[in-house]
Amino acid sequence: MRRRFEVLLLLLAGAAVLRISLFSELYLRYVKPGLRPLLIATGALLVLLGLVAAVREAIGYARGRRDAYQDAGHEEGHSPHAGHEWVHPPHAGHEEGHSEDAVHERGHAHSHGPRVGWLLYLPAVLLLLFAPPALGSYTASREAARAAQGAGTFPALPDTNPLPLTVREFSSRAVYDTGKSLKDRTVLLTGFVSPSDGGDEGTWYLSRLVVGCCAADAQVFKVEIHGATALDADTWVTVTGVWRPTGAPGSEAAEPALDASAVRKIHEPSNPYDDAAPAADGS
Amino acid sequence: MEDQLLGRAGPTRWLRLLVRGAFVTVTGGALLAVVALVAMTIGPALLLQIDTPAFQAWRTVFVAITVQGLPFLLFGTLISAAISVFVPASLFDRLLPRKPALAVPVAGAAGMVLPGCECASVPVAGSLMRRGVTPAAALAFLLSAPAINPIVLVATSVAFPGNPEMVLARLIASLAVSMVMGWLWIALGRPEWLRIPKPAAGAGHGGQATASRAGRWEQFRQAVQHDFLHAGGFLVVGAMAAATFNIVVPQSALDAVSGSVWLSVLLLALLAVVLAVCSEADAFVAASLTGFSPTAKLAFMVVGPMVDVKLVALQAGTFGRAFAVRFSAVTFAVAVLCSALVGWWLL
Repeated sequence: MRRRFEVLLLLLAGAAVLRISLFSELYLRYVKPGLRPLLIATGALLVLLGLVAAVREAIGYARGRRDAYQDAGHEEGHSPHAGHEWVHPPHAGHEEGHSEDAVHERGHAHSHGPRVGWLLYLPAVLLLLFAPPALGSYTASREAARAAQGAGTFPALPDTNPLPLTVREFSSRAVYDTGKSLKDRTVLLTGFVSPSDGGDEGTWYLSRLVVGCCAADAQVFKVEIHGATALDADTWVTVTGVWRPTGAPGSEAAEPALDASAVRKIHEPSNPYDDAAPAADGS
Repeated sequence: MEDQLLGRAGPTRWLRLLVRGAFVTVTGGALLAVVALVAMTIGPALLLQIDTPAFQAWRTVFVAITVQGLPFLLFGTLISAAISVFVPASLFDRLLPRKPALAVPVAGAAGMVLPGCECASVPVAGSLMRRGVTPAAALAFLLSAPAINPIVLVATSVAFPGNPEMVLARLIASLAVSMVMGWLWIALGRPEWLRIPKPAAGAGHGGQATASRAGRWEQFRQAVQHDFLHAGGFLVVGAMAAATFNIVVPQSALDAVSGSVWLSVLLLALLAVVLAVCSEADAFVAASLTGFSPTAKLAFMVVGPMVDVKLVALQAGTFGRAFAVRFSAVTFAVAVLCSALVGWWLL
């Protein structure tokens, strides 16, 4: 890679990282919140590297041109005052191309950086111009419903009614709780709509993706929703409903399911991978 | 360098340079703006044609792996450049036992002090070799650093609550693999397989004369720039491969095989290779693979930081393809064996 493209790449990559971490919260679509300071530092450092490289490059370029001029037989160029003539070589006309080559040979010997570096333009441009959306219903509908491990009894739930829960907590209680703490409780859950995988008519999934480090390790939690018409996939909603038991706790048949009484559209949360419970008033 | 320049240049020259610089900046900037504008108007329409949900998810995962890796990669190149430029080679002579066979375990255990994931360890291991550390010891460090540093061990204990023997098993198995691989390299490795990375300073502009005159900071800057762009390109290759596997292999497809004990160990080890999850996060993924034996999960966490598609790409770029293929294949076998043994003993 030519030096000037390296400089541009460092600046673009730095700007891309800063765009998603410092100037917006887009980074939450890709990585965990804790990475923000590291990303900001990375972006700033890349921009700094790019700027220093640009200045060095400009100086090197100027020197290279002068040296090339001198090499072309103008040894008197070593005298302190001849330097300013460098842009006016007497035979500038048709020799210009040759002169450029000489610049390249002298000033940029070994200057071809790693060619594989070109590939970094791809994520940089992607992030700057079309930051990809967060993972959603496509990923959710490819995985079977999961629930956190651990059969047995769970601590008692607070008395709030309706009760806001995270999708993960609802799933584990629905699947593993032998004490049936969810029985007859009206709960509030927030997630996005993902279509049913061809099972019962009229059901759909309220889904959540939870990320440990980056979107590549997203885990799926989802609750089958009965008794409400499905909205478009990837719509964010808060669902009010009552737990629908499907089988003995811990058995194959036990799956998280809910009889919905109300479905309300909400805005996509800024961190789509943070499985937070809705506020008690359903907002 | 600047003094010399100033000495020879009159004020007119600087003015010309300034005007020229301004001209390049303005025209270049305008050109970039036009390209961006065209791409932003035509791009979405063009993308819509091939914009299936699968491709969308691929893009997100690809960008996520790259974004996740960049800070650690830059951190790794900073450390590696600092080792190359500022740390005298004699320091490693004093710190490491002279005998390679003894240097291996010391270097393996030293992996505990580099807080980061596998993206950082490849450039650092490269600079250690450049500084004259015996390759076997540098390789032991390369394997152990991303697996046993404090951040990863804490993440593991968080992912497996009430299960401290999993953390211990991971520590022991990973250390064992890194030492076995170091010793194997002493016994069987051939120097011609390994391309020890050349100092990046030679890649600087201005040729020999400048390189010798340039200050250490300039060497440092050039080394960082070169190594970062080099390793960054390979990170992109690896992220593309990992994103592809991530989209092609759904996790639920694995549940079918989770019944057989030995098959499941092998399967999760292979999964660790193709998914290329960062070592700081792989414990959470392992914990989520319900239905697999603890030993299989251990294999996932031992293999992942040592062999994965992203790492093979990074190693091929740093040490050469001949090395990366042989080394990764043997490491995979040793890692599966070690985790099976440690799992059988502890879990």
